[in-house]
Amino acid sequence: MTTSINKTRHKRSSRHYSCFAGNRDPALPVHKLASFTIVALVGSLWFTTVSAQQVLRWGADPSGGAPYVFNDPNHPDQYIGYEKEMVDALAAAMGRRPEFVASDWETLVSALQRGSFDVIVNGLEPTTDRAKQIDFSNAYYVFELQLTVRSDEDRIRALADCHNRVVGTLGNTAASRLMQKDGIPWRGYPDPVAAYRDLELKRIDAVLMDVPMEMYYARPNPKFKPAGQPFSRGTYNVGLPKGKDKLKAEVNAAIYKIIRDGTLEQILRKWNLWNDAQAELQNPIRSGQPASNVAYEITSASFNWREAIWRLTRAAAVTVLIAFGSMFIALSLGMPLAIGQWKGPRWLQWLCTVYIEFFRGTPVLVQLLFLYFGLPAIGLAMPGWLTALVGLGLNYAAYESQVYRAALTAIPRGQWEASYSLGMSPVLAFRRIILPQAFRIALPPMTNDFVSLFKDTSVAYAISVWELATAYRELANASGQFLLLGVAVSLFYLAMSLPMAHLARRLERRLQRKEAPEVAHVEVGR
Amino acid sequence: MIRVNELLKQASGTCILRGVSFKVAPRTVLGVIGASGSGKTTLLRCLNGLERIDGGSIEFDDVRLEAKLSRTEYARRIKELRRRVGTVFQHLNLFPHLTVLGNIVEAPIHVSRAARSEAETEAYELLESVGMKHLAQRYPESLSGGEQQRVAIARALAMHPQLLLFDEPTSALDPKRAAGLRSLLLTFIERGHTMVIVSHAIGFLIGLADHLLYMEGGAVVEYGETDRLLNSPSDPRTKDFVQQAE
Repeated sequence: MTTSINKTRHKRSSRHYSCFAGNRDPALPVHKLASFTIVALVGSLWFTTVSAQQVLRWGADPSGGAPYVFNDPNHPDQYIGYEKEMVDALAAAMGRRPEFVASDWETLVSALQRGSFDVIVNGLEPTTDRAKQIDFSNAYYVFELQLTVRSDEDRIRALADCHNRVVGTLGNTAASRLMQKDGIPWRGYPDPVAAYRDLELKRIDAVLMDVPMEMYYARPNPKFKPAGQPFSRGTYNVGLPKGKDKLKAEVNAAIYKIIRDGTLEQILRKWNLWNDAQAELQNPIRSGQPASNVAYEITSASFNWREAIWRLTRAAAVTVLIAFGSMFIALSLGMPLAIGQWKGPRWLQWLCTVYIEFFRGTPVLVQLLFLYFGLPAIGLAMPGWLTALVGLGLNYAAYESQVYRAALTAIPRGQWEASYSLGMSPVLAFRRIILPQAFRIALPPMTNDFVSLFKDTSVAYAISVWELATAYRELANASGQFLLLGVAVSLFYLAMSLPMAHLARRLERRLQRKEAPEVAHVEVGR
Repeated sequence: MIRVNELLKQASGTCILRGVSFKVAPRTVLGVIGASGSGKTTLLRCLNGLERIDGGSIEFDDVRLEAKLSRTEYARRIKELRRRVGTVFQHLNLFPHLTVLGNIVEAPIHVSRAARSEAETEAYELLESVGMKHLAQRYPESLSGGEQQRVAIARALAMHPQLLLFDEPTSALDPKRAAGLRSLLLTFIERGHTMVIVSHAIGFLIGLADHLLYMEGGAVVEYGETDRLLNSPSDPRTKDFVQQAE
């Protein structure tokens, strides 16, 4: 019905427009022209609003998003998944055209609040934290959690065996909250693929995921086996902006409809996701009972500031470790690189230049992903924090080498010659005469690099290292406290970088004082 | 005794020194004169091993430099040579990050492995002899050109060289300070130093240099005792240069 009205409206407005555009009568009065314009404008405006109501923009994270919604391996420009099919059915029931908005799991809730899309359909569990920020429809799926271990694992039989292990999962999910509540060490991943890969590489000991993901990513892999039975039921609901009661009613009605006519069961069966829990959810609705809020155990952890600060402090410690470790690598590797490129034999110069240009010319993010996911292929699997430390160190060594080289070449040749004529060897001259002078020149840019390295530790987020930026994202997404936590995290960064800058300035001043204790009595033309 | 024989030095295809020969006897002073670009400074840089020679030889007592020597052997002999030769550069090249005292004791401590206390005691004596003892704790940047030069001289002397090389020592000095430097160098002669002084200021060398070497275009035009060369030059080119300089 709505569709046909829209079509007529569309026709009418375009007729207005063509009438206006086709009129070539120069005698047309100005006010008439103006009114035509207004009518055409209003008509087209009305048309756009109506057509916006006609679509159902739904947000989800398709990266590693199987079996919910993901890129079809055979047609990478198309999305498939059981939720994709379900949304198609829901939209049809609502008389709307579905429009998929690819988003990021961690920021789905804030994106919905910002209005990037109308609903979230992404295996979202209704938690008390999220319920403070957004609304939820009735449940459409009952999930359980499944623990997965390597097939040669014999000590982990249930989650309770994992108190001294590290368990991977997605950040801000029922699984992560459950483990946080139970005090089990866990690591958050941006997608299930990365988590299962780290399990395979023995970087973690187990993975806890919602059954749909476990079914798709872990079950077919002979290197894994399930540990124990699925447990801890929860529901997936459609996420909606607060206050959109009409939309909520529409969505609930649509869910009711596709459950009653068997469409949802068909879809779930097709994706091998049908089980008793689904039957328990759907049967009362099918037998005509109104959709009740099925009372399932909902794992929720409400936000705890004390714990947040504690986790931020731990993240800050990791940040400091990575920053100092990688700066140490950068400073010590930078010097041989600089000297090799400057004074080495031709092949060494070439080699150093290749190194430097490679690390300066490619994004550090790509380098980290390569080190983390690429190197295990040749049997070198480092833990995330070490990968970040080494990766940033190798990257910044390229920059430091150029700082050193600039400083070293800035020392006049006469300094070398004076040293040689006093009988010094090149090594002694370098160590005693050239290096101390070069250090003073290099200090300000080195400080600068160190401060920027400090902030660059945030790229470790990409390889699931729990450092400050990761902590901010995950805690803020869990709580919605982007502003407050943002301030807290900024303070953490500043508390670390300001003393460093201050220290460097003091050192600089001391070196400068040493050089010119008295400025007077200087003659020109020495 | 220093013997330079048929010295050749080339750089990017052109000859900078072509067959330079002379002798410097112990406890004598040789003045090298000539216009800019005549090869004076290059000659000096060959004598302290900063330039590798391309032909001929340099002999300093039992150390003999030749072009045909292997790289390592040449480097070894240059090390020997530098132990006997001290240089005061035209631009002095003091170490700006070290105090006056630090500039002087650096090489004795780290090259000759002298004890710091001994090196410092001797450095103060040297500074006193050049009239700079009161400025020992200053940094070079805060000194005048003349003061810096005296520090550079003391720094070279600290390694007890048998031969002292000076490159254009008067270039940055006013006449009064040049006279002061001249009388300082005269005391060095009394103490028995051997010196080679490159300068375009002939007046500075009169009464200081025993012999003069006039160079032009990388070759020796005339070599002889100072008085003879200045008063009755045998080559018309020397005559021209001396007349112009006066």
